[in-house]
Amino acid sequence: MLHRLLFAMVVLATMVLHTGCYRIKKSAGGGQRTQLGERRYAAGDILLPPGYGAQLVASGLNYPTAVSFDAAGNLYCIESGYSYGEDFTTPRLLRLKAGGQTTVIATGDKNGPWTGIDFHEGKFYVAEGGVLEGGRIVEIDPSGTIRPLISNLPSFGDHHTNGPVVRDGQLYFSIGTATNSGVVGADNANYGWLKRKPTFHDIACRDIILSGQNFNTTNVLTEAPADVAITGAFMPYGTGTNKGQVVRGQVPCSGAILRMPLKGGAPQLVAWGLRNPFGLAFAPNGKLYTTENAFDERGSRPVWGAGDVLWEVQQGLWYGWPDFSAGKPIASDEEFNPKKGGQNLRPILQEYPNQPPKPAAIFGVHSSANGFDFSRGTAFGFEGQAFVALFGDMAPEVGKVWSPVGFKVVRVAVATGVIRDFAVNKGKRNGPASWLNNGGLERPVAVKFDPTGTSLYIVDFGKMHTDATGSHPQKASGAIWKIYKK
Amino acid sequence: MSMNSKAASAIVLFLVVLASCAVRKSEPVKGTYFQPKNSTVARGEQLYMIHCQKCHPGGEAGLGPAINANPAPQFLKRFQVRHGLGVMPSFKPEEISRADLHAISKYMKQWKHY
Repeated sequence: MLHRLLFAMVVLATMVLHTGCYRIKKSAGGGQRTQLGERRYAAGDILLPPGYGAQLVASGLNYPTAVSFDAAGNLYCIESGYSYGEDFTTPRLLRLKAGGQTTVIATGDKNGPWTGIDFHEGKFYVAEGGVLEGGRIVEIDPSGTIRPLISNLPSFGDHHTNGPVVRDGQLYFSIGTATNSGVVGADNANYGWLKRKPTFHDIACRDIILSGQNFNTTNVLTEAPADVAITGAFMPYGTGTNKGQVVRGQVPCSGAILRMPLKGGAPQLVAWGLRNPFGLAFAPNGKLYTTENAFDERGSRPVWGAGDVLWEVQQGLWYGWPDFSAGKPIASDEEFNPKKGGQNLRPILQEYPNQPPKPAAIFGVHSSANGFDFSRGTAFGFEGQAFVALFGDMAPEVGKVWSPVGFKVVRVAVATGVIRDFAVNKGKRNGPASWLNNGGLERPVAVKFDPTGTSLYIVDFGKMHTDATGSHPQKASGAIWKIYKK
Repeated sequence: MSMNSKAASAIVLFLVVLASCAVRKSEPVKGTYFQPKNSTVARGEQLYMIHCQKCHPGGEAGLGPAINANPAPQFLKRFQVRHGLGVMPSFKPEEISRADLHAISKYMKQWKHY
């Protein structure tokens, strides 16, 4: 009896100590543990469910972000041309041949990141992030000629122009928000864009009414140490707001999915209130889905504990940003209140356009759920399930984590929201291959099934170290992996 | 060894085990597919995905610590869910009903022994 009581007390004490030490524990994210340097590639270090195998298709790529196939089934990939950490390279469309050989099809301007690609009726469609010149959707013919379909999209900030995907004569794409949670702050200077674009801010898609919250920061745009910037939501840095103030909506806007006729024309709003809708894909039943990178614990209005989300996209709906996470209000809730400083979150908006819907699935906090695709048949298995690339945390800049989050590919039963690991690294713990000292996955950023639906291609962005000074990506460390059914 | 030193040793050992407990539980790692043994476990898995997965993905560490190797009895875990602990938020019955909490508990138990 005494032993049982002692055991219960020990368990209880341990639970208290274990969960209570979060505040004093140092962050231990995957990027923090990533060691830059020569990368190893070993398909055997990628663990898969029974009946599946992996092989390396290409290596040494510069920040690859997506793959696509032409009508003949040839494989192409895009290299981003930009990475967090303010590393500008050249955006490129490459054809990947057997044996890992590459041929350059097209070269973009210094306006990355190229974030996504789709192939439709003989042409490629690429989303150009637009950190310097504004976002664009460009059409690339097989000879490499680039023609912009739309330009000057508002994506100079934290997040970029993403997508695209073509369906029924319409081109769907998305634009991430400028900021973490609606307010321009010192964190945006750390990202690099605030000093380039000091008046840039989030743009509402429809008219909104503000609660009038303002946030004070030491002015990062001036040298005077006592200069304070007072900034409200949806405003330029240093511009305050009032309770009841109306912000007029416009399209294109921030945090939204848009579509435009493939033949050209004005973009139309599909959905909004999405922080960074990175991945876009149609399910076999014709429904559109998106992955959303959720709030970070950073900036003037940090939000803790927000899991990334897979959403079914419904026409015209507002999905909750900047006042909801995965359909739940974040105001005054211990589930979301920041742990740094301890202040309660308050709403940015005085009224909500609609009650946000329930998500299809919720991923790990800071896992960075990015590109995804659906299995369309029995050739690969898991028919109708979404396969999602989890890029992996960028702690400590995005917030503290107990252990690396993401760095793998998961599958989601969208009807139930159940997530199961699909491709992970060998090792006693989860994390990037370089930390585990093996040659598996580093940072999966997208996945794509081949046209026959028999193989899944994983786009691996490559190594990225993260620390208190920001992100430190490593060029020429990206890869493409192929997962096949044995 | 006195009773007190035994208890202290047990606590230290327990902390060491928990600190290092990154027991990985997933289909690729185990090499077998996870099948909920009944409808309650299946429902518990769906509820776990809604309420718990984001901080403890697959029961492994993430934003929060790993729970796969946590040897605490299920009633203590349910107590922690209901009342919170440290930075872990509490989940009131309006958010997770008693029946749902027990379903999560059933799922966690099967997942732990998967």
